[in-house]
Amino acid sequence: MKTDFKKIAVDGVITSNPTLKLVLGTCPTLALTTLAMNGIGMGAAVTFVLICSNVFISLLRNVIPDKVRIPAFVLIIATFVTIVRLVLDKFLPSIYESLGLYLPLIVVNCIILARAESFASKNGPLASAADGLFMGIGFTLALTIMGAFREILGAGSIFGVKLWDFKIEFFASSAGAFFTYALFIAVFGFVSYTLHTKKKIKNYRIKDVSPAETETAKEV
Amino acid sequence: MEETKLKYFSSSPHVKGKRTTRGIMLDVCIALLPACIAGCVFFGWRALMIIALSAVTACASEIVYLLILRRPLKKILAEFDFTSLVTGLLLAMCLGPQVPWYVPVLSAIFAIVVVKMIFGGTGKNLVNPAATGRIFAFLSFGSAMTSGWLSPLTGEVLTGATSLTGLLESGQMPDNLSLLFGNVAGCIGETCKIALIAGGVYLVIRGVIDWKWPVIYIAVTGLVAVALNKFDFNYFLPSVLGGGLILGAIFMATDYTTSPNTTWGCAIYYVLLGAVTAVLRHATGIEVVSFAILLMNLFVPLIDKFVINRPFGFVRQKRKKEAQQ
Repeated sequence: MKTDFKKIAVDGVITSNPTLKLVLGTCPTLALTTLAMNGIGMGAAVTFVLICSNVFISLLRNVIPDKVRIPAFVLIIATFVTIVRLVLDKFLPSIYESLGLYLPLIVVNCIILARAESFASKNGPLASAADGLFMGIGFTLALTIMGAFREILGAGSIFGVKLWDFKIEFFASSAGAFFTYALFIAVFGFVSYTLHTKKKIKNYRIKDVSPAETETAKEV
Repeated sequence: MEETKLKYFSSSPHVKGKRTTRGIMLDVCIALLPACIAGCVFFGWRALMIIALSAVTACASEIVYLLILRRPLKKILAEFDFTSLVTGLLLAMCLGPQVPWYVPVLSAIFAIVVVKMIFGGTGKNLVNPAATGRIFAFLSFGSAMTSGWLSPLTGEVLTGATSLTGLLESGQMPDNLSLLFGNVAGCIGETCKIALIAGGVYLVIRGVIDWKWPVIYIAVTGLVAVALNKFDFNYFLPSVLGGGLILGAIFMATDYTTSPNTTWGCAIYYVLLGAVTAVLRHATGIEVVSFAILLMNLFVPLIDKFVINRPFGFVRQKRKKEAQQ
């Protein structure tokens, strides 16, 4: 069976972006987007866990009985989350501190469970690894851009570099988190919808026009 | 023009009134004028500048939003009702006279674009734009909003709290008469209660608002405040006259779009609004009229769903008989 890696990539980053399209993993998204750096840290951690858990679940997909698959998935995910926590605690304590409670909560993050359930348990290990990678990239990008938006407006800095003194504290508060999230979902949905419809119209035109033209040509 | 003609084509005898949204909103603007003038008299040119900035930004952001949607400019100007002007004026009324210039501008843009236009413009907003704009300003520029109140007439900067926060935090009784005439530190439009009440009376005479509802809201707030302070009736007048309660009751809570349609729905809405205002004030120690209005506005669709007018001649079905049969 040949796997379509291009489709997996486009799916993960754009068409079913976990944060902006599937609206999964909202809890870390709302809480951690105050700083752009948090987005990269959280995104990297989630990407690592996604790839590893996807590969292992994909390898074990024929062994795990159907009735106990969720506990089995959670067990596999929890293993990798523990690895990430221990590594971050030892080597990058500053990121470990800023992510805080949300790092162990990756275990029950919906993105990872959803991908395990809907992709890894049905596909081979290579395709699952690619799916994990691109889903992780989509998550990281969404979190980082939202974090940058909120950091610029709410704290007047980007990636910790100070830009100006002016700040709108609304965007640093939790109300601002919900507002920013809604705004990004709306803009992303609008852009992808317009692109989609434009593509559709284009396809229709080519199909509609060409047979009609040949017919008129015959009549003449 | 053909489209607009079609709108009037319907069965049943309908009476077409002379009232338009524009006319009602102009009435509200006129009612707000005395409070504006009083604010300018008490706080000087700075207050006038904030009012003008807020009003102009509010109108401009509505027009710019419609231009971005590619509506023709002529149509925009022809259909321009003064709701955004009212929003801008109301927003400026509940800002302090000491705020920097960007506070009214940014909050007016937020109030019009995010709260009103995104939901579909006049008559379709879910919550009151002016109250939400004030909350945006409060959350964003908290330090600029609540520190350094200007003393009226003299214009010196006070570092202390306003009379209402003084009352809530330490039980300090302010002078009721100066609260009534507005000779206290506070927001631009909220200080002179006489001017606000005059505007309210004008609106009642013109039939724009019903006199019952603001009175119920204000009375319930005062009574619940009294009850929360162990039935000490000295608390009634200061908690009624202090802060933005009268402004909120007359101009913000009575907004047509964000209040229930039925009489009983309105009764529930305003009583709850008063209770929420008094309880939140007691619990948080800050001025919460705009927060209470925002909170209760979100309940309006729910109230409208469950409180329905009984149609004329409608008889309620008896459940007991059905069960017997």
